[in-house]
Amino acid sequence: MLRVSNLSLAYDGEPVLEGASLEVGRGQFVSLVGPSGSGKSTILRAVMGLQSPSGGRIELAVDGAEIGILFQDDALLPWRTARQNVALGWRIRGRARREALEEAERWLARLGLEGFGDRYPRELSGGQRKRVAMAQVLALEPRLLLMDEPFASLDAIVRHRITEDLLGWVEREQLTVLLVTHDLEEAQTLSDVVYLLSQGPRARIRQRYEVPIPRPRDLVRSRMHPSFGPLLERLWHDMSQEVGGPEPVRPARDSDRRKAS
Amino acid sequence: MIWPLDKVWARQLLSLAVFLACWEALARGGVLDPFYAPPPSEVAHVLITVFADGTIWPHLQATFTAALLGLAFGLLIGIVLGFMGALVPFIAELLEPVMILLNAIPRVILAPLFVIWLGIGLGSKVALAFVLVAVLIFFAVYGGIREVDRRLVERVRTLGGGRWVLLREVYLPSVTAWVMGNLKVAVGFAFTGAVVGEFVASSRGLGYLLSFAQSTYNAALMLALVLMIMAFVLLLFVLAGHLERRLLRWRYR
Repeated sequence: MLRVSNLSLAYDGEPVLEGASLEVGRGQFVSLVGPSGSGKSTILRAVMGLQSPSGGRIELAVDGAEIGILFQDDALLPWRTARQNVALGWRIRGRARREALEEAERWLARLGLEGFGDRYPRELSGGQRKRVAMAQVLALEPRLLLMDEPFASLDAIVRHRITEDLLGWVEREQLTVLLVTHDLEEAQTLSDVVYLLSQGPRARIRQRYEVPIPRPRDLVRSRMHPSFGPLLERLWHDMSQEVGGPEPVRPARDSDRRKAS
Repeated sequence: MIWPLDKVWARQLLSLAVFLACWEALARGGVLDPFYAPPPSEVAHVLITVFADGTIWPHLQATFTAALLGLAFGLLIGIVLGFMGALVPFIAELLEPVMILLNAIPRVILAPLFVIWLGIGLGSKVALAFVLVAVLIFFAVYGGIREVDRRLVERVRTLGGGRWVLLREVYLPSVTAWVMGNLKVAVGFAFTGAVVGEFVASSRGLGYLLSFAQSTYNAALMLALVLMIMAFVLLLFVLAGHLERRLLRWRYR
């Protein structure tokens, strides 16, 4: 579905990426993790066409209209209601106004926002705004979903619920996903494959990890799968080598918690 | 009657009443010279008289015509130039230094020049009000477009929107917010331009009456005119506020 080969990219002459390569197969959920400033988001922006690479190739098996993008910021138009925001993609693609708004209302209901269509973004909570942004993207029925830490700004409970809904959606519709995240556990819980970027500048893909947890997945039970702990440890080890200095404190696993009690 | 003195407006109204009563008493008691500070009752009497005998109407018409025409042209040209400057770099290179210069000087000093160029009629007053408003609105639009939220632009682009969609969905609403935020200031500027223009040279208008009151040492008429201008500008502020809340209901609801 997506192949990035030897991608190089620079900001104002400063090289950020040099020779980064990764592949996202049809129906796969792939995560990209790495140290801060390694260029995770830059790869995504290059795939979106918002950043021009200085070298390498990006091959997509879908056209631009079949790609959905979720940013960290919900980036909803503040002067449009939730319904109008969701309908925006359809309006841009030439749907009649009334039809697009009706379709938008159905999508809001699907994402648990029935009755919120007339509200402006400032009248919604952070979680509700994120659901509107999701509805805006999913309403266009993308085949490839690109996400840049989309739920990072939400509190833990809201984040868990929205991630769970999104995971269910992705598995049901067999969407192909490329997720950028700094959260190794999230990457592992959601993904079939995790790529680790090396420390920047001149970052490249350091390692590729297969996640052998079967689907459909549950956000809590996936963490109890026998392969979860060892793989997380490997990821933390490799990441700490990239960052340099002492090994970062790894999060307590369920097995540790059981031992402690 | 018990005053609701826990309300801010009630305390403000009471303070104003006390101030006017003191002023009235001091002027009537001979402490204040009525030649310089005529009592409020005399100012009110002048106000009622100029409306009752109809002498004020042609002057009000002249000032309002100049101010509203200057405001309308200033808004129109300011918005068009702001858009052109923000979207076409070549035009920005030409316009920016001129606008920065015009913004840096107190633009009312252009009033005598407009009288030489356009005569003492309506044209010179409209021109001054126009320059005051157009420069303000140019910077509101120019800055508004250049500082538009890049995340919104990227969001619309990634949904497949081109230049026209960006203009309709992002730039125009964003600029409307900036212009509306400056509309009250623009109304004040338009009246400043009209009145100062009339004050410099004219045969009609509130500015002309102010000049007349000054030359005849008529402090009561002058205070009545100042109050009248304040009242009309406040009225326009209220109307501009209503328009702002209507057009930007996403911000106020």
